[in-house]
Amino acid sequence: MSIIIISSDSLDHAEQIAEGAAEAVGYQLLGPDLLGDIAAAHKLPVEKLKEALGANHSKWRRMRTKRRAQLLACIEAEVLSRLMADRIVCWGLAAHLYVEGVSHALKVRLLADTREQVKLVALQRDISEQRAEKVLQREKLKQAQWSQIAYNCDESDPSMYDLVINLAQINPDESIKTISGAVGYRKFQPMTYSTKNLAECALAAKVKTRLLENMNEVRVQVRDGRVVVTSKAFKRERQKKAAAIKEIAGGVEGVEFVEVHLINYVIREAAESFR
Amino acid sequence: MSEPLQILLLDDEAIVGKRLKPALTKVGCEVEVFQEPIPALGRINEKTFDIVVTDIRMDEMDGMQVLEHVLAKSPDTKVIMITGYAMIALAREAMEKGAFDFIAKPFKPDDLRKVIAKAADALGKPIDFTPADQAS
Repeated sequence: MSIIIISSDSLDHAEQIAEGAAEAVGYQLLGPDLLGDIAAAHKLPVEKLKEALGANHSKWRRMRTKRRAQLLACIEAEVLSRLMADRIVCWGLAAHLYVEGVSHALKVRLLADTREQVKLVALQRDISEQRAEKVLQREKLKQAQWSQIAYNCDESDPSMYDLVINLAQINPDESIKTISGAVGYRKFQPMTYSTKNLAECALAAKVKTRLLENMNEVRVQVRDGRVVVTSKAFKRERQKKAAAIKEIAGGVEGVEFVEVHLINYVIREAAESFR
Repeated sequence: MSEPLQILLLDDEAIVGKRLKPALTKVGCEVEVFQEPIPALGRINEKTFDIVVTDIRMDEMDGMQVLEHVLAKSPDTKVIMITGYAMIALAREAMEKGAFDFIAKPFKPDDLRKVIAKAADALGKPIDFTPADQAS
């Protein structure tokens, strides 16, 4: 069976529609509640995980790059491993940004009713609708910045999704029916290609999580049990770093072979040589 | 004893047929291997196969055309698509057109054998072979 990944510019609607879709198709729901489990498993504060997902933009901006990568890697590893079970509706965990090459994942983007959002913000913050509109615009801009920096893509780009629903025109009940109908299309059925891609994404995330506990800037790809790690190193520490990567990555269950590509810290090395 | 499973393998890389035919024959399947689509389609017109395994990118004909041809002639045949140019859009197109499964190259022989076993089960003609990674 398939996976449904719902994202939105309004988390309230995403939750409501994800719950409704899960009930309609008899799938399990995977949402931000999972962050509690991830926090417990990795001994991390839940708030930090939420910040890594862009919940608090100013705190996220202040977070160190390595810390952001570590937190996101933990979330990705746990979410991807759970998605392998199939028959899941996932929302609020940014899965639309890191589930790649999985043809049985139906990616849905919900566009909130802007007028309704403006009214709500104006009411909640006791401000004019004109001001509320500006607040919303700023928040959308921050969210776009987050996806750009965290995943190098603009999550508001409709070409990233299989289905985009404008909630100003299609109400939540109609949205649920639309999603339930679309996921039944044969093209969203799992196949060897897509289940393997998902398993490889999950393994790559697991390896990345382990590596980031010990080093910075790693890129991990998996193909047929072969893990390819790309990182940066000073010339003098290349061998040591490659050995460390092989040892850590090789220790992760499911890894058969590790290939390491190290790029020199050219600028830093040049700077050091002038000291 | 039940009828042996009839399988047609179409791939312009000879190694695919060479590796799979002995393993499938060993478990009682009758396997015909083709490297070119035109003779393969000729054979499909003559005989109904239980399973057709076809590459997608071939010189003379697209694997999608083979899929459509097979299903038009015998809708019960399970068609397994293999390709070295796997992409989401292609995988979805194959499934939409009725493929049983879609596998990206390179794959291990066991990967394809597992899919063939799954197709055999779906046809109600199970075959019994133990994948190399499970053999004692």
